[in-house]
Amino acid sequence: MNFSFREKGLIASLVITLLVFGNYFFQVFANLQVTPSEQNGFGDLIGLVILVVILEAIIHAFLASQHSTEIEDERDKLIQRMSYRNSYWFLIIGIWVLLIQFLATGSGVWFDFNYLAIFTSAYGLAYLLLLLFVLAEVINFITQLYYYRKGI
Amino acid sequence: MSQQILADRVGVTRQTIIAIEKDKYSPSLEVAFKIANIFKVPLGEVFNYG
Repeated sequence: MNFSFREKGLIASLVITLLVFGNYFFQVFANLQVTPSEQNGFGDLIGLVILVVILEAIIHAFLASQHSTEIEDERDKLIQRMSYRNSYWFLIIGIWVLLIQFLATGSGVWFDFNYLAIFTSAYGLAYLLLLLFVLAEVINFITQLYYYRKGI
Repeated sequence: MSQQILADRVGVTRQTIIAIEKDKYSPSLEVAFKIANIFKVPLGEVFNYG
């Protein structure tokens, strides 16, 4: 399968995001079940973001050196706009769902997730919000790849 | 004319020219007119709708 410059960059960003943040959230949520009132690596996040930026800079610089003539045209911009719209809606819906379940938890009205520590601690909620941001970015990458392959 | 030369003259990437050829992307009027002007033919001879 032949990938364009943009697709290679998107695949690299997707793989980096999934590997780095996937591992991070797996560890964080596992620890949160044991000690829900502790930060469990909130401070590691800054280091992870710096790591992602460095990895992306290296890979994108390498890709740019291989495709020096590539420009960003109207199709690239349209695909970016459509993908950002998709990830925006995912983020908005996710935040509303989190907000509603947070208000409803304990009241016994809607979803009662009290048995899950991640829903009852403030840090748990903060991590879920962070997870939403990362998932929104993943959806942005995946939908861009989809539009590049299938057309718009 | 190669796809790369056409892309350079229009000001888009070769991938966009390929996507237009495969009917996977509908270009803007500006790009459509540029392509028609390069081939010196009316717009309707290069693109059609419906």
